[in-house]
Amino acid sequence: MVRQGSCRDATPHTPYSTRRDKRRVKRQREGHIHITVWRERKTLRREMGENTQDGTPGSWFKITIPYGRKYDKTWLMNSIQSHCSVPFTPVDFHYVKNQARFFVQDAGTASALKDVSYKIWDEKNRKISIFVNPSTVPYSVRYKLEPEEMEQLKLTINKRYDVSQQALDLQSLRFDPDLVGHDIDMILNRRNCMAATLQIIEENHPELLSLNLSNNKLYGLDGLSDIIQMVPTVRILNLSKNELNLVWELNKMKGLDLEELWLEGNPLCDTFPDQPTYISAIKDCFPKLLRLDGQELSPPVITDTDTPCLIKPCKESYKGSDALKSLVLQFLQQYYLIYDSGDRRGLLDAYHEEACFSLAIPSSPEDPALSSLCEYFKESRNMKKPKEPSLCVQPLKHTKHNIVGSLCVLPKTQHDLSSFLVDMWFQTEKVLCFSVNGVFKEVEGKSQGSVRAFTRTFIATPASNSSLCIVNDELFVRDATPTETQSAFSNQEPTLTPSSVPTLSQEQQKMVHAFSTQSGMKLEWSQKCLQDNEWNYTRAGQVFTMLKNEGKIPEEAFKQIT
Amino acid sequence: MGDKPIWEQIGSSFIQHYYQLFDNDRTQLGAIYIDASCLTWEGQQFQGKAAIVEKLSSLPVQKIQHSITAQDHQPTPDSCIISMVVGQLKADEDPIMGFHQMFLLKNINDAWVCTNDMFRLALHNFG
Repeated sequence: MVRQGSCRDATPHTPYSTRRDKRRVKRQREGHIHITVWRERKTLRREMGENTQDGTPGSWFKITIPYGRKYDKTWLMNSIQSHCSVPFTPVDFHYVKNQARFFVQDAGTASALKDVSYKIWDEKNRKISIFVNPSTVPYSVRYKLEPEEMEQLKLTINKRYDVSQQALDLQSLRFDPDLVGHDIDMILNRRNCMAATLQIIEENHPELLSLNLSNNKLYGLDGLSDIIQMVPTVRILNLSKNELNLVWELNKMKGLDLEELWLEGNPLCDTFPDQPTYISAIKDCFPKLLRLDGQELSPPVITDTDTPCLIKPCKESYKGSDALKSLVLQFLQQYYLIYDSGDRRGLLDAYHEEACFSLAIPSSPEDPALSSLCEYFKESRNMKKPKEPSLCVQPLKHTKHNIVGSLCVLPKTQHDLSSFLVDMWFQTEKVLCFSVNGVFKEVEGKSQGSVRAFTRTFIATPASNSSLCIVNDELFVRDATPTETQSAFSNQEPTLTPSSVPTLSQEQQKMVHAFSTQSGMKLEWSQKCLQDNEWNYTRAGQVFTMLKNEGKIPEEAFKQIT
Repeated sequence: MGDKPIWEQIGSSFIQHYYQLFDNDRTQLGAIYIDASCLTWEGQQFQGKAAIVEKLSSLPVQKIQHSITAQDHQPTPDSCIISMVVGQLKADEDPIMGFHQMFLLKNINDAWVCTNDMFRLALHNFG
């Protein structure tokens, strides 16, 4: 029997109701927000008036980048910002199918962003288009937490923060007794909750190192990815026991330099046939990762140094494999680059927390202060009165901060790397001992121009990014003899920048010019590249292309385009 | 002596002992090395107590005398001691030469032995 007339029930005619239901169901499956449930809990007040981040009414716009999914978020946003005439703050950045989307407030900003369309080229030389449409208030703004809730959340977060480890434990945050007691539902999968949490971390613990988000039913990482801009110091991330089912989600976190990651207990872990494949997939995402799910990973293989720097090869005399040899040479280049730069604080990264350093100079039998090397004792207020006049040893400096503090006070120097004689005299996989003999010049102060000779011994352990971590450092400095002074710095040019070097054959000169034309690099840099690759033109070209793609070649290497 | 850190005490006693042995009768130096010791002498490497003593004994000098200009000691994280010595030596009738030597000392069965020894002549005299 067909019903007549009585279909006028409370719900309006909704020919599309089936589809809407499907959509709602789909949202549930993906863990998307259940807006209807939310509305029941909160007052209507939220929908009126407070539609903006600062409480004033405003209009919102949705910005869409088709195919935005394939770009690295940081690159994309930086590119857009650099082409945009107005600074903007993206809200609720997320991906929908192939698109990247975010919201901005205010018509002027939206219009400026529209102008950026077709102005950015991706690496395949395709133009990126940007679509702008008016939109309703974005989710995290519409449902942002009340000030009292933010205050309570802040207290809870502070309680869960471990100062000594710079670690924040937000496991099962939803069930925190304090939050539950105050009727605050922190469902971190919801954009507004995640945004509030990140905001509090950014304001109160901006140096955060370790973040534990285990057991928070996270289905996606769009919300968390904002942390890359807000709290980039995070190195340890625990995402175990969540609902991440695609490794692609992790790509959103690539902007973090993670050392340690926990993923076990996520559906994505079960999608791999075996452990090595799983590890390999994760490492593709985070090449510098050291530990996954509590397991140490083999050290990452990072190719090449950051900038090509031209120095004459040091004289070496040691038994050691080529890899060790270049490790030590590279370390010395980097170390002395910073040491001579005028600000030695960069050396903090080279030393172990508990390293030791000592400095000795020979002193004349008379008052040590008369010695021209007295500058080297300037910062030692409690210098031991030497028992024997020829011995002058400072108290040992312990911990990297004391050491670098001590180094910063020593006279400014310029080392002659071509004078270095390096002895590697002990090596195991964990420890490397080597000594460097060489000369340097003092470049300022009352001893300006004096050439000194030094012997420096390092004990170091291999560090995470294929460099060395100094554990012991002993330095001995003396005046250089006249012969040493004469032969030092004989090639006049500073040794750590590209400079033209001994004469090249006709053939080589032609290669340099050709390479320079093809690569766009200046002649000296082209020459350096060819030299480094033993004048194998093809190989040099490959290395150049690889470095260029990794962005490792400094701008100054390239010829100015007139 | 009590105010000096322990590694300095050990290091300087060792240095004193070493050069005394070296200058008087270097064939006795075997006592301070072990079979795992390694000597790097002017860039050449010698491994093991026997090889080291052989190298040192066979140096073409009859009379040798060391004088220490500076010495420096540091503890290492694995409880070893690294000692650096800079000084001058006179061999037979040759002119005085500067030298530089490093020792890595380890405590084995309550005695401090040298596990690594690195020696280099300084090519020029000290001022």
